[in-house]
Amino acid sequence: MLPTNCPGCHSQLKVKCLKCENCETEVSGLYDLPVLALLTPEDQQFILRFVINSGSLKEMSSELKLSYPTVRNMLNEIINNIKANEK
Amino acid sequence: MKSKEIFSFMMNPFTRIAGWQAFGIGILFVIVTGVIGTFGHVAFDGVIDMHFTRELTLLNSFAYLAIDLLSVSFIMIITGFIISKSFRIIDILGTMTLSRAPLIILAFAGCFTVSPDINEIMKDPYVVFQSVSFIIFSILSFPVIIWSIILMFNALKISCGVKGSKLGGAFIVAILVSEIISKILILKLIRL
Repeated sequence: MLPTNCPGCHSQLKVKCLKCENCETEVSGLYDLPVLALLTPEDQQFILRFVINSGSLKEMSSELKLSYPTVRNMLNEIINNIKANEK
Repeated sequence: MKSKEIFSFMMNPFTRIAGWQAFGIGILFVIVTGVIGTFGHVAFDGVIDMHFTRELTLLNSFAYLAIDLLSVSFIMIITGFIISKSFRIIDILGTMTLSRAPLIILAFAGCFTVSPDINEIMKDPYVVFQSVSFIIFSILSFPVIIWSIILMFNALKISCGVKGSKLGGAFIVAILVSEIISKILILKLIRL
């Protein structure tokens, strides 16, 4: 799992270095992590399944064996997390 | 299913069942409750209470249950519009209907309960202690009604996606208002 928070002070981590495995080139800088990468693995998995199910909450509820409002509440929770991370 | 999971499901089945499915199952429970309640002389004449009555027809039994269900559903839908940005009316209607399911226990228990006559109780309240079955029924009624209230709370919580004090405050007001409305409707439509 990609670490997103500093283990020392819990601040949000940034990407400092990216490396090409082919030619060993390294790109250094200070880049923000993608918004989706900041979510928990469970939330990321939910979003992935949501896209695969064409954004249908009904399909999601039958796949997860959860009720429609429960799945909608899970989605609302993720939306709130994304908004919080964007701030 | 582990016992903890079963308990969790009994207290909040709405994470798995809601909408039309909950409404269908709930209506089945309500119908059976109405039929058994008639034989047990248990009238559910309020959203969160019931009484023994000697003269209870099948029609009246269903009328009480219908008024209770419509009152609580209507008030909870209005509450939903106030506290939630988005919800489906069928989720509130369905989950509130299924929240009535525990009442079937009281309807069934009523069949085995000998209730003292209301006039006798009015004359001497201690007469209730002469009927052991009535005492057992009274003790049983508390957890069953509390179970039904917990279900209604979780029904509103899941259907509207609201948490915290906003949900708690709105639910208390809504349940009291729906109880008052159901009592008024029963008095106006059935008893007069």
